[in-house]
Amino acid sequence: MRPVRMIIFIGVVVGIVLLALFAGPRMVNPFSLTTMDREILYSIRMPRVVVAMLMGMALGASGAILQGVLRNPLADPYILGISSGASLCAALGLLSGFYYFGSMSVPLTAFIGAALVSMLVGAFGWKRGGLWPERLLLAGIGLNFLFSAVLMLLMSVSSDEGLRRAVLWMFGDLSMADWSLIPTAAIFIVIGMGLVLSRSRALNAMILGDEFAHSLGFAVQRERLILFGAMALMTSASVSLGGTIGFIGLLMPHIVRFLLGADSRLLVPASAVAGGAFLCFADLVGRSLMPPMELPSGTVTAVFGAPYFLYLLRRKDVLSI
Amino acid sequence: MSSVSDGPILEMANVSFNYPGGGPIVAGLSCSVREREIIGLLGANGSGKSTILKIAAGMLRPSQGEVILWNKALKSYRNRDRAKLLCYFPQQLDVNVPFTVREIVGMGLYPYEIPPVMTVDDAMDMVGVGDKADAFVTNLSGGERRRVFLAMTLIQGAGILLLDEPLANLDIKYQIEFLKLLRSLKEARGLSVVMALHDINLALQFEKVMLIKSGEVHGIGAPEVVLTSATIRDAFDVEVEVRKAEYGAYITHEKWF
Repeated sequence: MRPVRMIIFIGVVVGIVLLALFAGPRMVNPFSLTTMDREILYSIRMPRVVVAMLMGMALGASGAILQGVLRNPLADPYILGISSGASLCAALGLLSGFYYFGSMSVPLTAFIGAALVSMLVGAFGWKRGGLWPERLLLAGIGLNFLFSAVLMLLMSVSSDEGLRRAVLWMFGDLSMADWSLIPTAAIFIVIGMGLVLSRSRALNAMILGDEFAHSLGFAVQRERLILFGAMALMTSASVSLGGTIGFIGLLMPHIVRFLLGADSRLLVPASAVAGGAFLCFADLVGRSLMPPMELPSGTVTAVFGAPYFLYLLRRKDVLSI
Repeated sequence: MSSVSDGPILEMANVSFNYPGGGPIVAGLSCSVREREIIGLLGANGSGKSTILKIAAGMLRPSQGEVILWNKALKSYRNRDRAKLLCYFPQQLDVNVPFTVREIVGMGLYPYEIPPVMTVDDAMDMVGVGDKADAFVTNLSGGERRRVFLAMTLIQGAGILLLDEPLANLDIKYQIEFLKLLRSLKEARGLSVVMALHDINLALQFEKVMLIKSGEVHGIGAPEVVLTSATIRDAFDVEVEVRKAEYGAYITHEKWF
């Protein structure tokens, strides 16, 4: 445990959240709130911050789980095709005129797509009564290519304006965040997080390999199934909230490991919190840089995340490969 | 567990194993381990040593036969209860996550709600990695890493250790120290060990060895009985001579290469 780093970590997270609430194209002074300020805070900024926190938490935790379960430092929920599957399902829904749930239609179809793809990846990864990491990873990569190709095909032949908007939204856009989406997604994310936190010892043991995990008294295949299910639940909920945001799932676990250590009992919750804060920050940058235009948060996370990731890659204590 | 039992504490009764659609890897194998026994498991590459250990550890289910731990079918144990009695140490140690030495050794306590007597520091000192407690395992040498995992195994406190080539990557000093350590734990805690190994000269110093050929027991007992020129030729397809020495015996060959 590194107490000083822990305090700095918490301080930075709290600072970012406060900044995301009160800073932006219009600065809000928390000590003298006007009616207008209250309205902005309550209807626009707060739901956005909550959505960003929830999405980032789900993705950060999912990344930490997958890197452990698949024993691969490059794993993140999107490498398994979950994002492209969700986008494809949302696009197909729009093309077939699925508008029965109004503004909830795209999030709903995206959620269904993400959940279906997770199950499909799981089915391909299943052999001899269990899930096998290499099979999961390869199945995910294969499905990812397939769905991306079909999505591209749809985009290139379709002139549907709604479809183009939906596809843009899938690249990660929090500008549509409002309170109505939050409760359902939050429930899924809380359930997923609870499952993982109760399984973090098993996750630690599985990082050492199935044989050690078995020897330490864990039912490896059952634990892997639960962890994979929790990851799928959280990622699907996250996609339904604001589309697909890259890099958080990959990056946060590496940063947290570097700062606070690799023990999953701390790594998973800390990656979640870091993911939430990072997405708040990306959203703040996205809406403040050139108002009134908003940059999609997914691109901001990549622009900030990728260079830092490459810097970390140079350090020996982050990756040993 | 302090009472010394004369009967077997781990027993494989007529165990066979094959992967679906494959030929038998283990065929009708019966053997047993008693308390305070250290058994060297020998056999050519692919003879089934690792598979036997994995079946004994409950990691692979035998296609026929039964594994019995303390007079109860192994499969009837809860995972966590089994982990307190029986511990398996795999051949491959590949960790690509920067855990610290202390974190890894501490995982040996996972089966317990109330930690047993040995502390993480004791276990690290026992295998000589105490000074590396806060180092990342990913930065250690192969041998050091192996000792870290051995410390985890020791702290797990199981009475039976199934070790798949635990001496690989260890230099001669740590090989001897590790064997001495096991011997002292055998005396102090009644530890039983089954250890796969390749060094026949080392095996000749064991009290008991088991020679495996094609998934069957080719011989079991004192090494001077089990490991003769004839049995070694049979099991390994190689000509060597076993010579008596002041302490035990050693194998030699007219000219190695």
